[in-house]
Amino acid sequence: MLTVWGRPNSINVQIVMWTAAELGLEVDRKDVGGPFGGLDTPEYLAMNPNGRIPTLQDGDLTIWESNACARYLAAKYGAGSLWPEDPADRAKADMWMDWKKTSLAGPMTTVFWGLVRTPEAERDMAAIGAAAQTSQALYAMLDKWLAGKDFVLGDSLTIGDIPAGAMAYRFMELVKDRPSMPNLEAWYGRLTSRQAYRDHVMLPIT
Amino acid sequence: MKLLGRSSSINVRKVLWTCAELGLTPAHDETDTDIRALNPKGLVPVLVDGGLVLTESNTICRYLAAREGRHDLLPETPAARAQVESWMDWQASDLNTAWRGVFMGRVRNHPDFADPAVQDASIRDWTKQMRILEDRLSSTGAYAAGGDFTLADIVLALSTNRWERTPMDRPALPAIAAWMDRLSSRPGFSQHCRNGVP
Ligand SMILES: N[C@@H](CCC(=O)N[C@@H](CS)C(=O)NCC(=O)O)C(=O)O
Ligand SMILES: N[C@@H](CCC(=O)N[C@@H](CS)C(=O)NCC(=O)O)C(=O)O
Repeated sequence: MLTVWGRPNSINVQIVMWTAAELGLEVDRKDVGGPFGGLDTPEYLAMNPNGRIPTLQDGDLTIWESNACARYLAAKYGAGSLWPEDPADRAKADMWMDWKKTSLAGPMTTVFWGLVRTPEAERDMAAIGAAAQTSQALYAMLDKWLAGKDFVLGDSLTIGDIPAGAMAYRFMELVKDRPSMPNLEAWYGRLTSRQAYRDHVMLPIT
Repeated sequence: MKLLGRSSSINVRKVLWTCAELGLTPAHDETDTDIRALNPKGLVPVLVDGGLVLTESNTICRYLAAREGRHDLLPETPAARAQVESWMDWQASDLNTAWRGVFMGRVRNHPDFADPAVQDASIRDWTKQMRILEDRLSSTGAYAAGGDFTLADIVLALSTNRWERTPMDRPALPAIAAWMDRLSSRPGFSQHCRNGVP
């Protein structure tokens, strides 16, 4: 049995929960972080020195950092399906995972905090607009990459789709004013038809 | 194989050090002229290996280790691999965003980061992050992922070199200092990591 520590509305928890669900793995999820707190206790910090969510436990093994957790699950339980075996394919998937973490997460956090967690009167609309613009330019890169492909690596869902795909729900819901990106929209449509995505990503944005 | 990107970038230096560990000598183009055609974000490094074009420094380091079958640098078993990747992912996200204010303000002299309050907040955050690494290294007594040198040490040492060379007050972090000494005999360390460039 796997344990995932983290509240369900966190994007980084969703990455791990969605991955586990695609692999048909059962998870005992524990509410910590946000209103639940619990991230600064010595016990939690012993599992996750960074004091963030998610943390994954598989038996005696503890892993932190959302992408590392997702890659572990895919490598351990999804060889040849979510986990590409060929090093070049794996690198392409890896690149889109890092892209979410190093490029997309920053501006999308500004959009999300601005529109969802900040009272309307206090919103810095100029900063939110600029971050929405950056996010859109980044998703335009993925739109281009997806031309002629159903998923990031081609015909089937892999680990490379997961972080960018989890964030796509927020992007589509929060950045409504955007040019048409047909490849991205078709890919997003494929994600939203998956039960695991609906159950773990398409949750109220709070 | 060809690597694009100027060697003032710590992300390019991660790849150069990894190549030194692997005994690879890709052609290195420092001019950054073709970057946008290969990476619309305009960021370096970019690695071209035949038909494969890769961006993202940590992705490139992992790819090269896998390509060369160097499971000592990036283990094959999922559990051991995850220990290396947690630290690499943390370097690329929380650690890497912490230094921006003070590094851009004081080393690059970028006007957007001239505000001392912005620089001080960055120093506090960066110090907090470096203490996480300090605690980790004092508990392993060796390397970031445990007893052995891995890719995690390469990416973290480049951040640490920047920490040591950015003009600011910083606490002594003895486990980190001892680990940097331990790394100093690695191929590539003095050329690409502790080479006088922050
Ligand atoms: N780089 C980390 C970032 C984790 C992170 O920032 N998590 C947020 C939630 S998405 C968090 O822990 N926030 C504190 C809280 O929920 O109390 C990862 O990808 O796992
Ligand atoms: N997440 C990317 C970040 C790359 C990055 O930010 N590179 C910087 C240099 S360190 C860059 O190319 N900046 C644009 C420039 O200043 O030319 C990676 O790790 O490769």
